[in-house]
Amino acid sequence: MESSLQSAGLLEQMKIHLSTDAGKEVTNKIGLVYQLNIAPKKIGVDEEIFVVDLKQGKVTKGPYDGKPDATFSFTDKDFLSIATGKMNPQIAFIRGAMKIKGSISAAQKFTPDIFPKPSKL
Amino acid sequence: MAMRDLVTGGAACAVPGTAASSSNPFGALANAILGSSSKTQELKGLPGSAVNVPGPSSDFRTGAPLTTIPGLETEGQQHHQPVGQNYEFLAGFRTADHGVLADAWNEIHQPPALQTQGGKIEAQFQEFEQIYNRGANSMLPPAWDGPPQGVLSRFLHSFVDSGRAGVPFRPAALPVLGLSEGDKQCIRDRSFIMAHHIFADKSEEYINAQVNALLHSLDIDGNERLRGPIRGSYPELEEYWTESQGALRSGMPNPADKWVSEFARQRENGDPEAWAHSFEQLHGTNGWASEFEHEQSQLASVGQVRGANMSHIAAMEQSRMLAHTLAQNTDPKFQNSKFLQFVSKMSRGELIVDENQIKPATGSLTDNWADEYQAQYNAGSSTWADQFVHQDLPQGTDKWVNEFVKENQQQGVDDQWVNEFSKLHVQDWAEEFGQQVAEGALGDSTADDWANTYENFLDEQLLASKQHSGASRGVYVFSDMNPYVGHPNPLREGQELFRKGLLSEAVLALEAEVLKNPDNAEGWRLLGITHAENDDDQQAIAAMMRAQEVDPTNLEVLLALGVSHTNELEQPEALRYLYKWLQNHPKYGVLATPELADSPYYGDVARLFNEAAQMSPEDADVHIVLGVLYNLSRDYDKAIESFQTALNLKPRDYSLWNKLGATRANSIQSADAILAYQQALDLKPNYVRAWANMGISYANQGLYEESIRYYVRALAMNPKADNAWQYLRISLSCASRNDMFEACDSRNLDILQKEFPL
Repeated sequence: MESSLQSAGLLEQMKIHLSTDAGKEVTNKIGLVYQLNIAPKKIGVDEEIFVVDLKQGKVTKGPYDGKPDATFSFTDKDFLSIATGKMNPQIAFIRGAMKIKGSISAAQKFTPDIFPKPSKL
Repeated sequence: MAMRDLVTGGAACAVPGTAASSSNPFGALANAILGSSSKTQELKGLPGSAVNVPGPSSDFRTGAPLTTIPGLETEGQQHHQPVGQNYEFLAGFRTADHGVLADAWNEIHQPPALQTQGGKIEAQFQEFEQIYNRGANSMLPPAWDGPPQGVLSRFLHSFVDSGRAGVPFRPAALPVLGLSEGDKQCIRDRSFIMAHHIFADKSEEYINAQVNALLHSLDIDGNERLRGPIRGSYPELEEYWTESQGALRSGMPNPADKWVSEFARQRENGDPEAWAHSFEQLHGTNGWASEFEHEQSQLASVGQVRGANMSHIAAMEQSRMLAHTLAQNTDPKFQNSKFLQFVSKMSRGELIVDENQIKPATGSLTDNWADEYQAQYNAGSSTWADQFVHQDLPQGTDKWVNEFVKENQQQGVDDQWVNEFSKLHVQDWAEEFGQQVAEGALGDSTADDWANTYENFLDEQLLASKQHSGASRGVYVFSDMNPYVGHPNPLREGQELFRKGLLSEAVLALEAEVLKNPDNAEGWRLLGITHAENDDDQQAIAAMMRAQEVDPTNLEVLLALGVSHTNELEQPEALRYLYKWLQNHPKYGVLATPELADSPYYGDVARLFNEAAQMSPEDADVHIVLGVLYNLSRDYDKAIESFQTALNLKPRDYSLWNKLGATRANSIQSADAILAYQQALDLKPNYVRAWANMGISYANQGLYEESIRYYVRALAMNPKADNAWQYLRISLSCASRNDMFEACDSRNLDILQKEFPL
């Protein structure tokens, strides 16, 4: 995936992670489709859209063909904070750092533990 | 009137004054406040007080000071019914429920209790008088009964009356009142200020003349303190300001001091434990007094406001002066008193006297805003804040959301979201959430979680706001309490510690070194490496950038920067540094073309590096950089290859093993990764980064219990590794060890280590 966002790196890792056993676990557990609108600096501006499909277990770039269970909008940094557990998704929502559309119950399942962590060189 | 006394003068000026003295900041505060308000609405109470104003009020719209006098309460009430806004305001200060200071007084001598107006006032104020007199022994003639007081008060009354009547005041011969120097000074100051109030519409000369007449009668030399008004739109206020400034600069004038120390003395006699402790619980024992130092900057910014707010500023300034006065008494209970809290808020602009009411200013910075909110308002008007303080959140979302939005403007939160939120999201989200809860779609646990989360929210906010100073990229954050500062050769010490593997200690020693010699490139470099090994890339970057400033051609620094940026997923920066490495390399520099330096394109850089590798295949460093480069582009296989080549050349480089392991892990060969990490740890047992990476590898494989152990081990070596704390929390929740959340959140390593040994 060509992208200048930091999040892209993480999502790439997610992509390959989903093919592992652990990744398959996640797919079984959640089974939902999330669309992520990630903007470099400000929500809604110059967004890049990714789809984390936890039904089929893949990560793709570009809007979802169909209706995702939940759509999130955040900035690059905030998404990384959430994915690495620095920021609680609920708190992010309350602070307006994350916008949610779609099913709230689906959104509630969007937690840091579905993402693999990057190892440090 | 006793409170007015307090307001207008210190113990030495027990004479009932009818004007506030600017030398007493409190008085000046009162006047600044009063001077700015012109309505006759009844004042809402000050914190903790309910104002009960007795009797009818007749309208005195000028800034007429109080005309009742302590001890002569009955007499005062006959002559002058409590009148106007000012009296009410000051009555508020001293009513039976008692403004803050009276509270304190009362608490000393009896348990605080809500009382109504009436006979109680007198009793208490007589008590007050006694105490006052006791403390003021040295300054007053021992036999101090009615008459001189009465005489003086009547005399001052007539002065005021003359003002109202527009009749020039005539000097009168008075019996000896036994006024001390301090008394005189007080009276002098106060009279001057008061005269400005009363004769606001008259000319300056007239005012001076009146005051002089007054003072002359009292046998006071008023010349010293007379000053012309300062040009400006609010001459009175500015004058108070400069006078109080002058007073402050010349050292604490006696009256205020005396009062303050007396107050402290008195308070020690009593038993203010209960309220002091409860206050401490609410607000923490941190010296708010130190916050006053920051007022200046805040006030400066507030100072931009239009003239309409000048009065607020003046009030703030006055209260700041007052607070400064009071802050000089370092008795912690004193500092914690509600009164001081109130004053501190006034000075910070959090409270504004607006239309004779004390209101919290919007946009104020309040960490404990909920506590303050409760403290300011009568209990009835803010049930939610009550509930919050008692850890009992309502499940109804709308109410708190609305209140939250209205009341809380926290620092760092974009204002826009609040508006948006209040307009749009409240309904949408709250409705849906409500529906969901009603339908039971979420289940009970999640609703509770949400409530708990919100409770944690404010804690987090507190924590976050404290921790994030200087957390921006590139700004190195020094540790406080560094025992190595002052060490004769901290660099050598740091190197020793690093060799021994005591990474956190080495950090401290190296910080001491760079504090001493900010231009020591080696010090910064080693500091950066130590941080990286301690798994803190942020600090590593900051330190390395300093090193680079000092020595732009140091290859290790450039490589380290490239690595750290790679870890932080910042591809462009990482590329730039790795390219610089090439440029600055004595052998390969020739390969580097200058135009690429600014925005290196990955493909080109990779090609160049490959050329370099071909030039000298025995150079491990080239392969290492290549490996990092391939990691950037997620060409993991090639990266692994490069690292392995390098490892063949340098098998005992522990950081190389870690790189290999991390590359493997990122390419989801987690099992192999762990082997590599083991090798690294064999070479360097205190390699925090490797321990943390192990934890990550286990977690990514879903082996959460194992991962917890490794995280805990890493954290035991470096409790400051924030990443690891977060990962630990995630693993705990995945392993359903919610019982350990608290230990994790409070960073309690003992419990965690006991529970999860390796």
